[in-house]
Amino acid sequence: MQFGIFTVSDITTDPTTGRTPSEAERIQAVLTIAEKAEEVGLDVFALGEHHNPPFFSSSPTTTLAYVAARTSRLQLSTSTTLITTNDPVKIAEDYAMLQHLAGGRVDLMLGRGNTGPVYPWFGQDIRNGIPLAVENYALLRRLWDEEVVDWSGRYRTPLQGFTSTPRPLDGVAPFVWHGSIRSPQIAEQAAYYGDGFFSNHIFWPKEHTQRMVEFYRSRFEHHGHGSADQAIVGLGGQVFVRKNSQDAVEEFRPYFDEAPVYGHGPSLEDFSRETPLTVGSPQQVIERTLGFRDYVGDYQRQLFLVDHAGLPLKTVLEQLDVLGEEVVPVLRKEFAALKPAHVPDAPTHASRVAARRQSQAQHTPEEVSA
Amino acid sequence: MSTRTLAVVSAGLSVPSSTRLLADRLTTATVAALRERGEDATVEVVELREHARDVADAFVTGFPDAALRAAVETVTGADAVIAVTPVFTASYSGLFKSFVDVLEEDALTGTPVLLAATAGTARHSLVLEHAMRPLFAHLRAVTVPTAVFAASEDWAGGDGTSAELSRRITRAAGELADVVTGRPASARPADPFADVPSFEQLLRGEA
Repeated sequence: MQFGIFTVSDITTDPTTGRTPSEAERIQAVLTIAEKAEEVGLDVFALGEHHNPPFFSSSPTTTLAYVAARTSRLQLSTSTTLITTNDPVKIAEDYAMLQHLAGGRVDLMLGRGNTGPVYPWFGQDIRNGIPLAVENYALLRRLWDEEVVDWSGRYRTPLQGFTSTPRPLDGVAPFVWHGSIRSPQIAEQAAYYGDGFFSNHIFWPKEHTQRMVEFYRSRFEHHGHGSADQAIVGLGGQVFVRKNSQDAVEEFRPYFDEAPVYGHGPSLEDFSRETPLTVGSPQQVIERTLGFRDYVGDYQRQLFLVDHAGLPLKTVLEQLDVLGEEVVPVLRKEFAALKPAHVPDAPTHASRVAARRQSQAQHTPEEVSA
Repeated sequence: MSTRTLAVVSAGLSVPSSTRLLADRLTTATVAALRERGEDATVEVVELREHARDVADAFVTGFPDAALRAAVETVTGADAVIAVTPVFTASYSGLFKSFVDVLEEDALTGTPVLLAATAGTARHSLVLEHAMRPLFAHLRAVTVPTAVFAASEDWAGGDGTSAELSRRITRAAGELADVVTGRPASARPADPFADVPSFEQLLRGEA
């Protein structure tokens, strides 16, 4: 199982000091956080994409290429890449390029984006959100999987004899996760292609995540990619951890109360009960996270949100130390002990290249030997 | 004899509340009217005052918490709804509207609803027709023709106004019972996963 962090790249005032980091500071902070993630033994760093303040991450492949050069083992991903407003041709090109630079340590999570005004900035309309996600991804797949593409659709100028470059590393495109909070159509899309499904998980009650994942799993099996429990599932999570539970609550509360998404609403205690938010000791985080398996089954990737709401860099790095030293090693062991052998691990470039060789060997033995 | 579920939404704030008082009289009359028509009823009352903070939280978080979820399910799963609000500033109360805003689109489509309101003076009585009825028309609920308004003088008794209120209550309850008995028992709220289009349909742009 893979463990990592995901960031939305928000630039938020620290409510305890009233200080707002500059863009330059926050960008450097996120680079430091990514390198730290590898250093403490996490597997994945995922970065969001936004095109409006207070977020900086408009160009995730640029940032991730830098992180790739500064790390050697970390899997780089997105949370999310906008499949609706980005040209699928540019996604195909950018992420294949990143894949080469990172030596295959790249996958991506596609999302629609839920901010209406963003769509027209890129010539689109939020009312076409689902059809855009469907058509653009169908094209993206062909651009990666086929050398020469003739294509026409509703939302983009046609392509004649187009070849997207560079070609995916070793002929294997980056693995794709589809992220959605509330659209079953996106779970259906993930299942249709046998891709991964990532449930944001952190802003809604668990029953909601459970339904979406169950639906994705059953459709994954329906579309013939394996049994339902072999579908590739990722979950978000949100933690703030200190040695003593009460210290964690006291320190995190002012950030919670002012947080951009849920601040000025429920109490920290109410929100912790209703959603996966866990503020407490390492042991509490371990127990809560292991409990996710009870309602989504054995899953492949767990990402934590740890750097939002104005938390200072120093605090975030301390969080990563605790995750790396005390939380993730235990989770890794416990989840592995529970997982049956027929449930796959999260796909990596190496595993996908191996799978491709194997299927080629089965289907065209004469070509491989020649 | 089948059993129907009747959800009563009361947006009164004080204790005792004339809104709740009106809601209770409408409930008693409706249960009696159903019984005359050979139906039993289970009554579940949702006091919105108890959910005031939950409703505000739901606006911020985008989901109702467990307590509010139970209240919402009571209302959306019922065979009929009696909705009673006090008049605040020329309309239904903000809490009443906020609760309605928390309901999913289509949650009350086709549900029989009896509308009622209370105020200090009868000059507000058209709130039922210019605010409440359009709101429930938007929700595609089936509102019964008689909506019941009670002002302070209706509770005073003596000059015949309270007898008039009783007649309106009985008439509205009878109308609601007629609509309810004419239809099959409520299916639970629609399953959002039941009619997800196949991916082939999505690819063809049919959904």
